[in-house]
Amino acid sequence: MNAQDPAPAAAASAQAPTTGPDAGPGRRSALPLTVAVLVTLALVVVSLFVGVYDLRAEGGAEMFAITRVPRTVALVLAGSAMAVSGLVLQQLTQNRFVEPTTIGTSEWAGLGLLLSVIVLPTASISTRMVIASLSAFVGTMVFMAILRRIPVRTTLVVPVVGIMLGAVVSALTTLVAISTNYLQLLGTWFMGSFTSVVRGQYEMLWVVAVVCGAIFVLADRLTVAGLGREVATNLGVRYDRLILLGTALVAVASGVTTVVVGFLPFLGLVVPNVVSLLRGDDLRSNLPWVCLGGIALVTVCDIVGRTVRMPFEVPVSMVLGLVGAVAFVALVLRVQRRG
Amino acid sequence: MSLRLRARTATAVLTAVPLALVLAACGADTESQAGETTGGGEPRTVTIEDNHGSVEVPVDPARVVALDNHVFETLSAWDVPLAAAPKGIMGDGLWPEYTDDDAVLDVGMHREPNLESIVAAEPDLIIGGYRFSDSYDDIKAQNPDAVVIEIAPREGEDQAAELARQTEILGEIFDRQDEAAAIVADYDAAVDAARTAYDGQSTVVGLITSGGEISYSAPVTGRSIGVLFPALGLQPAIEQAAEDTSHGDDISVEAIASANPDWIIVLDRDGAGVGEGEYRPAKELIEGSEALASVTAVAEQQVVYLDPDFYLTEDIQAYTALYEQIAQAFEAAA
Repeated sequence: MNAQDPAPAAAASAQAPTTGPDAGPGRRSALPLTVAVLVTLALVVVSLFVGVYDLRAEGGAEMFAITRVPRTVALVLAGSAMAVSGLVLQQLTQNRFVEPTTIGTSEWAGLGLLLSVIVLPTASISTRMVIASLSAFVGTMVFMAILRRIPVRTTLVVPVVGIMLGAVVSALTTLVAISTNYLQLLGTWFMGSFTSVVRGQYEMLWVVAVVCGAIFVLADRLTVAGLGREVATNLGVRYDRLILLGTALVAVASGVTTVVVGFLPFLGLVVPNVVSLLRGDDLRSNLPWVCLGGIALVTVCDIVGRTVRMPFEVPVSMVLGLVGAVAFVALVLRVQRRG
Repeated sequence: MSLRLRARTATAVLTAVPLALVLAACGADTESQAGETTGGGEPRTVTIEDNHGSVEVPVDPARVVALDNHVFETLSAWDVPLAAAPKGIMGDGLWPEYTDDDAVLDVGMHREPNLESIVAAEPDLIIGGYRFSDSYDDIKAQNPDAVVIEIAPREGEDQAAELARQTEILGEIFDRQDEAAAIVADYDAAVDAARTAYDGQSTVVGLITSGGEISYSAPVTGRSIGVLFPALGLQPAIEQAAEDTSHGDDISVEAIASANPDWIIVLDRDGAGVGEGEYRPAKELIEGSEALASVTAVAEQQVVYLDPDFYLTEDIQAYTALYEQIAQAFEAAA
């Protein structure tokens, strides 16, 4: 796919009015972003105060510090990291339907996690994260390599290849798990859920904050990479190195998130797409929106998961899968109507 | 994710079963001739009621295949030799005479059973059921010469009666009625002791731990622990029916802390040495949790941990031991 071949044609035409004449997206009014920040903040505050334990009761303050704050911080970190990862992957592959769970990055991270448990049973959680991230990186590079060898890269072929690859890896993981008696645990590990996030259990997630920061720094170069190899090279960007770097960042974000909370499906797909549908395709000015969108979506889903079956919880991945699927279908229909 | 996983497992099984059938059919052709060795003495039979109806079973059969983990303890105590057994779900060192003996063929895990090895064992009696319930029809079709019974506790029935029924049936088949009656009597005595020791008011929560996470085991229906509630008249600290009965429902430590149970009873699902390194023992998860530190059950050390092997045994002897353990704990706290 080259620069003259923008991702889904329909989506691109929908954005044409916004991106075309407005060359300086950063110059727009700051009001919408302020509103978005306030809404997200409000959700985060709500998240802090939703739960079974009565905070006014004895030990409420303790409980707040032990469970509520860590959980909310984890939501913010994981939500923004996975949404931004989706955005970066979409730029690197020039395809809108790509995100860590549709191209197998998360599945590879899962395989790495399982192997780390089998091969290094006594390893610490940070070692596991390194192994999961490495595995996610290898897997994403495998996907990129396969992608380069595919002559026809239409909008849908790319995610189909990714989903196929992910399914193969996931099947392999299941096979390994069956033969080593870990199958029951597999479901527990990979089910995206913030239920068990408490003080002392989530701190490694701060790593993804670093990833997000790096992506902010690289934003312009990633946007250029999104124009394709030739254009990027002409503009003085070291394309291959950037692809490696971008993939590595996504791999770390997926690896760490998978180990701490599990898979968060659709997050990286829905949020960047909605944002670029509303605002056009400038990665740098979209990044804060994608971050906020990721945080808001995962927080809403977690609040829903926490409240619908009180005192029990519904894993966030289940709510996210439901909301994400509906949002995504709506998105596709909207794009088609406009096109 | 677990749904996807389950769907995938189902696909794997669906493709594997026809293959296994073909293989088993080939095996049966060549090997079934050798099995007709029962001679001498008139074979006695006894009619029992299994989960499917009346079955005529040979008394004290020579070659027995057992797949239901509720029966291994009893068979082991009665020195009944097995021709084949699912060694993968029998743990390490629980019944070494079965798991360590190469003459006992391995049927494998229930998810990927090697049904061919059952045929190869040329059994007279196959005690199927429980984890292997899905394979019942295949096993029956592949082993026309064997009697296949399923006597595992049925869902929705009174569990105490079901465990007793299972033991009594085994007693009739292996001509050990007195021993069977003794096992049942021990069980009843342990239940009575626990019921007497319970103060009638303390609230109890059942939990299941696995993969470093805590989930909720509902009264009545929850795995292993649920039955304790009706049997002993325990007061649940959380009044809500659960959905996932075998693996428990997702629950936060906050919700447990909020319910503030006087007692916690825990099944450690990974306790039987399934995941060595990754394994976080229930004791660490519950007593090491900051959020649970002020809960009455933890503060007063009123946490009952099921035997680590409980997840593999779940037999009448395991329940007897559990009721005795609970009776002791209740008495000590009184």
